[in-house]
Amino acid sequence: MDMRKTLALTSALALAAGLTACAADSSGGDADGDVTMTFWHNSTTGEGKAYWEETVAAFEEANPGVTIEIQAVQNEEMDGKLQTALNSGDAPDIFMARGGGKLADVVSAGQVMDLTDSIDDATRTAVGDAGFSAFTIEDKVYGMPTAILPGGIYYSGDQFAEAGIDAAPTTMAELDDAVEALKGIGTQPIALGAKDAWPAAHWYYFFALRECSQEVMAEAADTRMFDDECWTRAGEDLQAFAETEPFNEGFLTTSAQQGAGSSAGLLANGQAAMELMGAWQPGVVASLTPDEQPLADLEWFPFPAVEGGEGDPSAMMGGVDGFSCWAQAPKEECTAFLNFFMQKEHQEGYANAFHTLPASQEAQGVVTEPALQQVLEAYNEAAYVSVWLDTLFGQNIGNALNVGVVDMLAGQGSPEAIVEAVNAAAAKG
Amino acid sequence: MASISEDAHRAHRSPVDQAGGVAPVAAPPAGPPARRRTSGVGWRTRAEIALLAGPALGVFLAFVIFPVVMAAYYGFFSWQGYGPPTEFVGLRNYVTILTDPTFHDALRHNAFIVVMSLVLQGPVAVLLALLLNRPLRGRSVIRVLIFVPYVISEVVVGTGWSLMLATNGALNDLLAKVGLDGLAQEWLSDPDVAIWTLMGIITWKYVGFAVILFLAGLQGIPEELSEAASIDGASYWQVQRRITLPLLGPTVRIWAFLSIIGSLQLFDLVYIIWGQYVASTAGTSTMATYMVVNGRNAGSYGYGNAVAVVLFVISLVIALLYQRFVLRRDTDGAITGGKR
Repeated sequence: MDMRKTLALTSALALAAGLTACAADSSGGDADGDVTMTFWHNSTTGEGKAYWEETVAAFEEANPGVTIEIQAVQNEEMDGKLQTALNSGDAPDIFMARGGGKLADVVSAGQVMDLTDSIDDATRTAVGDAGFSAFTIEDKVYGMPTAILPGGIYYSGDQFAEAGIDAAPTTMAELDDAVEALKGIGTQPIALGAKDAWPAAHWYYFFALRECSQEVMAEAADTRMFDDECWTRAGEDLQAFAETEPFNEGFLTTSAQQGAGSSAGLLANGQAAMELMGAWQPGVVASLTPDEQPLADLEWFPFPAVEGGEGDPSAMMGGVDGFSCWAQAPKEECTAFLNFFMQKEHQEGYANAFHTLPASQEAQGVVTEPALQQVLEAYNEAAYVSVWLDTLFGQNIGNALNVGVVDMLAGQGSPEAIVEAVNAAAAKG
Repeated sequence: MASISEDAHRAHRSPVDQAGGVAPVAAPPAGPPARRRTSGVGWRTRAEIALLAGPALGVFLAFVIFPVVMAAYYGFFSWQGYGPPTEFVGLRNYVTILTDPTFHDALRHNAFIVVMSLVLQGPVAVLLALLLNRPLRGRSVIRVLIFVPYVISEVVVGTGWSLMLATNGALNDLLAKVGLDGLAQEWLSDPDVAIWTLMGIITWKYVGFAVILFLAGLQGIPEELSEAASIDGASYWQVQRRITLPLLGPTVRIWAFLSIIGSLQLFDLVYIIWGQYVASTAGTSTMATYMVVNGRNAGSYGYGNAVAVVLFVISLVIALLYQRFVLRRDTDGAITGGKR
């Protein structure tokens, strides 16, 4: 009998413990005034991971009593994990953010700290307004940008030379000619990872950037409706372009960045000549070349001009990577860390580690890869820079665009259907 | 619950019974008042049940029933997943799902997969099981070969097949090398071909499971029956058709049940091979992939939960109907407590 009672008691206790073990303390402070913060970033391997470890160590040394616990989260898992953490009320103090509509959703749930008054003057000057714009919601800043990632077409200079293309295409007509010339030398003109959908949707985004004026873009970001004709024209442009069969064989089942058979892999291994991508591309391609070194002949040109389009031909589109503080993080220490890694030396380290463009203009001198220098040049001359449409309009519409564009490229949709899908997306709230 | 423990008591006398005598567990609701000692045993038995089943039941409630209830709750909201849901939309999500042609497509694909899984795997598995049930050279090797695909993880299988079946993959390459270029296909992206590609992979992967089940079922059929039939002059095929197959019935019916439920919930293979967006253009989307595309990827967690509820209800209804009309004879006494 005693035995049984003990058993009952232990099992009840074990059960209770199991169900309540998740109530963690997240205040971050303790009795001696020491502060511990958690920090989530998405570099699980190599140089990027090492960069964050070094930067955090330097910060801890400069700020005794502050400890930062680093967690590297796989990029594809980041959104879901962060969402779960925010809902559980025990979120990381510092987490990755990409601005736009996605960030707006988290801000409206009261989960992000307002950084407007906490940004150093030095940082503000170094980044400039453009860098902060993606993180600005109703004149308040909610994130610290670390990298700017404008998109455009990356290409293999050697294959262009072999096909007799002297200058990078500047108009759609020239791009069509380049596609034909590349087919002539037996290579696949453009790699496209449509299995992941977003690379295909990017083609639509850029046609929209050329077809729609800046005002129409801004208005659509507000209303989240596509009621201007230019949205349909962008779809028609993409459809007409796809009919010239510029993409690699089996592009619908090609992934974007996974292995040699992915679209980035085709470019890295000389089986395709071009790919439309953001400024993370040099790093991704480098990891997929046979010797895992940067592709020596990788070059870049901006998305070509579209005849009759209402957008500025120099306008660019891209993403911004950055970090936000959780609303309940220790404010002083968290903002101190954000300002700390924006110093010139740490931003230079960031650019080198990630093979990309740092958000701090002071640090942009360390960019040496030719393709990235071409991106930077165009970026500094752009009339305006839009963020990716899926970031701008939020996840819901971004997803509808993904579906609509893939359907159309598979021959089962239409330019009108893309616009309809976006306008119907709100109903699937 | 009570009836099961009653059966247990009848089946073998536990030490408790030897000490305290056999007694009905629960006092009848109307009739003579139960003796004190009886209710003592009843209370003790219940305490034992509570102690032994309690933890499992608690975990089941916390991690199965509670999430199901929460999903039903979230399904009534438009919810982006940050903070608690606030925007109540009533049945709007369900109306949208049931009127969405993309969902109808997914439902149709699921129905096709359910039927074709039974039609393709059933006969093949029965034949293989009959073959492997006889003494023959290399039987264990064949058995292992058939069963291996079932053991490999879906992710590995999906990745392997998608590499082999890609447009410039091994299969088309092989066809070209043996001069059959004409047979090369867009195995994965052509909507007329892709669903058959999927069925091929599903059959290859899951037929091993059916074979193992049927072999176990065949082990349970007494050899005397077929011996007697042979002596009476029945041919091998007559024996199989009149004796073996009918006696294998319960096993086949259980396997079909598992296969149907699995087909309704199919997600991993499609997700790995086609990704989330190409599946619908290739005609291989399922209700589960629809849920991920329109729920998690769209950031519409309320809508996604509503899809989950629809999928749950469809599976539950089919499962209950199957239990009621097909499995009834086989499970009499085990699930229905012996009541007719």
